[in-house]
Amino acid sequence: MTSRRRFLEASGTLAAAAALGGCADVSSWRALWTTGEDGIFAPPASTEIDEISHVIARLTHGARPGDHARVRALAPTVHEAVARFIDEQLAPGHDDARADQAVRRLEALAEPVGELYEYQPALLRDQLADSTLRRAVYANRQLQEVMTGVWSDHFNIDISKGDCRWLTPAYLRDVLRPHALGSFPALLRAVVLSPAMLWYLDGRVNRRGSPGEQPNENYARELLELHTLGVHGGYTQDDIMEVARALTGWTVRSRGESRFGIGRVEFNAGAHDDGEKVVLGQRIAAGGGARDVHDVLNIVIAHPACARFIAGTLCRRFIADDPPAAAVDAVARTFATTGGDIPATLRTLFATAEFRAARGTRFKRPFHFIVSALRATDATTQGGRPLIVWLERLGQVPFQYPTPDGYPREAGPWLGTLLWRWQFAGALVAGRIEGTRVNPAQLVGRAGGERELLAHLLGRLPTREEETAARASRQAIALALSAPAFQLT
Amino acid sequence: MTSLWSSGVRDDRRTLVVVFLRGGADGLALVPPIGDDAYHLARPTLGVRARDAIRLDDRFSLHPRLAPLAPLFHDGTLGVVHAVGSDDTTRSHFEAQDLMEHGGDGGGGWLGRFLRERNGAQPGALSAVALGEEFPESLRGAPSVTVMRSLDDFAVDHDDEPMLRALESLYDADTMALGGRLAPAARDTLAALRRLTQLRASPLRPRAGADYPADDFGRDLAQVARLIKGRVGVAVATVDLGGWDSHVAQGTLIEPLMERLARGLAAFHHDLGREALAGVTVVVMTEFGRRVAENASFGTDHGRGSMMLVLGDGAEGGRVRARWPGLESKLLDGPGDVPVTTDYREVLAPLLARHGARAVARIFPGWPGLPAVA
Repeated sequence: MTSRRRFLEASGTLAAAAALGGCADVSSWRALWTTGEDGIFAPPASTEIDEISHVIARLTHGARPGDHARVRALAPTVHEAVARFIDEQLAPGHDDARADQAVRRLEALAEPVGELYEYQPALLRDQLADSTLRRAVYANRQLQEVMTGVWSDHFNIDISKGDCRWLTPAYLRDVLRPHALGSFPALLRAVVLSPAMLWYLDGRVNRRGSPGEQPNENYARELLELHTLGVHGGYTQDDIMEVARALTGWTVRSRGESRFGIGRVEFNAGAHDDGEKVVLGQRIAAGGGARDVHDVLNIVIAHPACARFIAGTLCRRFIADDPPAAAVDAVARTFATTGGDIPATLRTLFATAEFRAARGTRFKRPFHFIVSALRATDATTQGGRPLIVWLERLGQVPFQYPTPDGYPREAGPWLGTLLWRWQFAGALVAGRIEGTRVNPAQLVGRAGGERELLAHLLGRLPTREEETAARASRQAIALALSAPAFQLT
Repeated sequence: MTSLWSSGVRDDRRTLVVVFLRGGADGLALVPPIGDDAYHLARPTLGVRARDAIRLDDRFSLHPRLAPLAPLFHDGTLGVVHAVGSDDTTRSHFEAQDLMEHGGDGGGGWLGRFLRERNGAQPGALSAVALGEEFPESLRGAPSVTVMRSLDDFAVDHDDEPMLRALESLYDADTMALGGRLAPAARDTLAALRRLTQLRASPLRPRAGADYPADDFGRDLAQVARLIKGRVGVAVATVDLGGWDSHVAQGTLIEPLMERLARGLAAFHHDLGREALAGVTVVVMTEFGRRVAENASFGTDHGRGSMMLVLGDGAEGGRVRARWPGLESKLLDGPGDVPVTTDYREVLAPLLARHGARAVARIFPGWPGLPAVA
């Protein structure tokens, strides 16, 4: 019955998308995501993770029942089907009404920046976590959500700092998600001049003081170290000071100062250091005013360290903690030659032999684990505190990482979370998470048997040990979600 | 297998508690050199005034918000080290924290190596407990680490033995996953789960009068005290107190943190009592201090030397140890920072030896070791 309701929601979604028109790929979206949800689905039938399971696992937050069969049906050959799937996930411009529907009750998040200040920070904090989770579960544009997550680590904001308590929802909505599969330079510009980032890294108080006073270098440092060049990216302490000077004068209207236009970003020429700057060996002439920031970003983006640094970030997400240099080089080349076009850069990445070979080798982080468990079991969820509390226990609530480097990507820091994963799996399948439901019996039926359901959950046919353990545990689904194979992607 | 799980209860009752002040805590605010004129000149608005400070010696005082620590200093339980830090010059939080938590350039954390280098090092399930949600870098490479916020968090859904044995068989068989790191992590988790189930059956309350602050830091310390008093073999516990990155409006940012720090440590000291504290050392450290001169937004930027606190066994309490460089601008480091005249490893090495480290050189590879006594 729950499944029936979801099916109807999804159909409505499609009708809405079709009615809007102008979207040539709607038919393939239909093929991809919404056929046969109530019918028997065909899980993977190979003893190893096949190419289709691999791209679904890496480009999405995990396979739903039926995804494997739908991707396979996209083209006559597996190779073409995978290419079609990658194309569709990279293509911008689709509506994602199904995800929009899933978050429509979280009304505060749709407010303009100034109105966000009317809400309690705790409400915004929870709604933001909730909506991020729900979109990850329900979005058809899975890769866009995955990339939104990549950038939210890369350009990390902790919602607990200062006015970020009110500004972070707009940061996700207006900056990260719209640019997630766009152009890196445009994304970076949007971040640099976003009210949330100006608050988070103190850019708003970076001003030319009286002689002898130093500019606030916090943002300039993180801009180079974390956002563009990397700590060994070839810049010096002098470059940081020069960038800090170039960024002086940009500020945000804050609550204490004004009743109108709160949260608006402004350039205060009087607080700008308008002298000449030299950044990474390039001169920025005196008198540039508000243009200085754009000159700085152009210099930084064009620096070879930037392409390499961003390529490394993407390869760590999609290939391995310590990605092979050949893959990073190839991805960096595309980044550089396309001027930071994110889909083109990702297309190169997904075409590397290193990406295709790295199957089942990445440790899911807690957010990914939870979302993939919900997707794999076709759970219906209303989100809310009962789910957020699991993100808290596992230590990865969106926008709650305190320092600018963002949640760690590599496996090591997360190895201590197994216990809570196992507990989550048990609670989910037993129906002990309020507002979130799975139907184990129906899942087994739709898969065509327990072994087939295990194949769906594990992304390949179960080993004999896995089948034995599933029987012995007396809770096959919870066991599969707790098993080593489900922790990996 | 069974012997590994049951090794939690040990005769060895030594525990090292490491409190990390994340964000770069300002040593000049926590332990201001009130006796230095240059201090008052460099900190016209942020400086602690002499009449407010709690005098420790002719030069140094405690910030008034650290008042709960004053009696511990005066009775010799608490020692202070100043102008201390690492050789990191990037002034980057992440680089500096990594370098300090790794204990040098090598891989793995210094506490991780310590746990492997200890005398009679048969690690128990709860040898290392990280309070919070994250696996701290300092414990990287440790034989067993339990990341937890509270014993009471463990709802134990998987206490069902068929499920535990089924998981055990799968993870034991998967020796290759994550370069061989997943199977040991699962073994530790299963051991911890079984051990904690036992411990939860006997709850311990803080001793009367132990006034922990009602926040994560206070609760974390209370949990550490509970584990120590429960004698479950915790050799190392890590606790974080973050938020010290005071670029703007420093006072309003870090004064509440100082209060929580001092109240928490004083409550922990009281909770344990003299007998339990005999084998316990608490070290308080931070990745770097702040620039000596305050900035235009009433804050301070990333600097170098800061302070450390040592409480309990091996504290060398009742005095401030410092090769004090002075704060005149010509004496400062780089853009105007307190020079690091004591390496943090000089403070840690003797403490690790007290806690059973065999070879400090293996815990801090590449470090030349303690300087010759002048």
